[in-house]
Amino acid sequence: MGPTLTEATPCADHRAMTEAAPLPLARFTIVEANDADVPLCLRLATSLAAKIAADLGADVLKIEPPGGDPVRSAPPFLPQGGSALFQFLNTSKRSLVFDLKTDAGRASLARLLDKAHACLFEEPASVAPLLRAGRATPIEIAAFPVEMDAAARPVSGLVIQALGGLMHMVGEPERKPLKLAGHQASYAAGLTAFTGLAAALAAREAGQRPPHVRVSLAEVMQWVNWKAASGAAAGGTPPGREGKGSEFQIVPCRDGHVAVVYTVTQWPATRALIGDKRLEDAKFATRAGRRKHIAELYDIITPWFADKTRAEIQKAAQSKGVPFGPIFSPAELLESEQYVTRSFLAEMKHPALGRFLMPQLPVQWNGRSFAPRPAPEMARSELAA
Amino acid sequence: MSRPLSGVRVLDFGLLTAGANTSAMLADLGADVIKIESGAYLDPFRVVGKPDNDDGWWNRSPQFRFTNRNKRGLALNLKDPEGQRVIRELVTHCDVVVENFRRGVLDRAGLGYAALKEINPRIVFAAISSQGDTGPERMNVSFGSTLDATSGIASLTGYEGEEPRISGMDVNYPDQIVSLFATGIVIAAVMEARRSGTGAFLDFSQREVASFTLGEEILAASADPARRPGPRGNSEEGVAQQDAYRCKDGRWIAVTLNAADPSLGSFCAARDSKDAVAALLARGLAAAPCNDGADLLRDASLAGVSLVRDEHGGLVKGLPYRLDGQGITIERAAPDLGQHTDEVLRELLGYGDADLAKLKESGVTSKTPAIGEI
Repeated sequence: MGPTLTEATPCADHRAMTEAAPLPLARFTIVEANDADVPLCLRLATSLAAKIAADLGADVLKIEPPGGDPVRSAPPFLPQGGSALFQFLNTSKRSLVFDLKTDAGRASLARLLDKAHACLFEEPASVAPLLRAGRATPIEIAAFPVEMDAAARPVSGLVIQALGGLMHMVGEPERKPLKLAGHQASYAAGLTAFTGLAAALAAREAGQRPPHVRVSLAEVMQWVNWKAASGAAAGGTPPGREGKGSEFQIVPCRDGHVAVVYTVTQWPATRALIGDKRLEDAKFATRAGRRKHIAELYDIITPWFADKTRAEIQKAAQSKGVPFGPIFSPAELLESEQYVTRSFLAEMKHPALGRFLMPQLPVQWNGRSFAPRPAPEMARSELAA
Repeated sequence: MSRPLSGVRVLDFGLLTAGANTSAMLADLGADVIKIESGAYLDPFRVVGKPDNDDGWWNRSPQFRFTNRNKRGLALNLKDPEGQRVIRELVTHCDVVVENFRRGVLDRAGLGYAALKEINPRIVFAAISSQGDTGPERMNVSFGSTLDATSGIASLTGYEGEEPRISGMDVNYPDQIVSLFATGIVIAAVMEARRSGTGAFLDFSQREVASFTLGEEILAASADPARRPGPRGNSEEGVAQQDAYRCKDGRWIAVTLNAADPSLGSFCAARDSKDAVAALLARGLAAAPCNDGADLLRDASLAGVSLVRDEHGGLVKGLPYRLDGQGITIERAAPDLGQHTDEVLRELLGYGDADLAKLKESGVTSKTPAIGEI
């Protein structure tokens, strides 16, 4: 018995869009090979890259091991059951279950590769040699650079943020370093892998031999955190977490918190906004002076925020061209007027999980958004062998 | 050797990181990227990173060099009708425009998408802005750290139970990740333009890109109104134990465990960081030092292709990926202000000595900065 493809019904928007004009990557078939026993942080990167291609119209065939992609049982979970993480990362894909530990499973995969334009996979996968040698252009996700020769080294998203220097930048200097929230090491690599995939497809369409693309989470993290190396190369102490010594700090307000952010040229407007005469002291006139007296500066400005809401602060700051940032939670973003107006959050009616909202691809193409289709359900009898 | 974007030409109005880095990634893939500045409006990275005030300071900023290698540089005054005319002529020879000005700046100069697509219907116009090209907040001023706050990332970042945190001015995380995504979408639009003969207006919101990286949290919040996560330190749902631990030598290491081990803190405190990491890795556990910038410079194996040297020996940003096993090819260092103005106008528009002299005399082209507007 051959594999069974599982696919949910397209939502209305997606169907209308498809009927109106082909989606940009509709002519491409892409295999996402999820072997068993691969570190989760790599899997998330692969899945994000393939999700972007799928939402843009590519026919993405997701190969899952028997028992399914472990992301299906990874948090956060939906109250009605199922993984929000899986639902987000696997929109618009079709799913097949192959046991890649068997000859039959590998043979089925090889046949799919003959028909695909590209294949995304993780370096430690047992089938990596097969995928590198296939006709589909390999897009390989690894944890570390080739030079480290560390395909088997244990890895996590936290470890990548540490190695790449990002953790050194967040928190208080005398307290432990912090990671940025979410799966940033994986997702930055996933965005990169999508761009590598697009470059390979462009080369193919231009009649070139498409390049083998290799993305490592560690290299992407350093690339993202380039100011750390740039600052160190410029001499002196490498940049690091400044916490309460930073010019940009978080202050409480009536209904939450606000990030105090201003550039050198925006200082006069910031001073006028706060409206405290003490800020006119010469010691605050230069950036060096403000940094030297940063605790005193924040003693002066912090009370201004206390009795105002985030909305009031943002309105007052924007009116003077000051980029203060009200801090919003994911739940609050659901009601963001900006996001609602731009239809950034797609309403999805999942056949099993019901209604929810999720971010669409963060681009509008001639005013068009790319509404995702629900992630595939786990079929019952898709064993290829 | 042909590269994926050989034959593609980009008119680059990109500034600082978000725009200039997108066009840099296109250049690294083989596109001919022509960066447009003017004496009256430099890429702010030329100013922010200037090492001194000596003559030529505007050409020596490390930050500018990092982000603008492999490009040619023109200096044309976009406020001058003659400068605008030259841009309109150049657009006929280009496939892509990248810009991250505040909304409306190019429209006011008659160089917005509506005007340019009349000249070149195949043009792919990538507009990168903090909030996007539409919506009630489209004109909001923002800095990278503003978007840490407004995207949701800050709300979940921080010490357990304490106030939220942003990535800070030395990271400005939302500025960095937009180009990783935008470059791929621009390539997809170039492929489409090659096939159909029709370009596209690509509207990127940096804030949306940052929120997109919290997709599962936004989805979960929509399905479960009771879900209200806050800063959770270094822990992670579904992971037994994960944190940063201080070692005997005072350095921090990051460790992820599949099964909780309350003795891990004392284990690390009793060992130097290098020994602790080695011992944990030997046990099959994920562990690594919390590196700083100096560590990153020292460890060439870890850097992979992410850092390279240009022809002057200056450190520049490499690639976030490698193609056929290779890193970046540095074909030219970042341009001095207006370095290639004459070369490009001769090559693409057939301008002669008299044309170039006229533009220079009228101040439309220049190689030195004017005061203000930085």
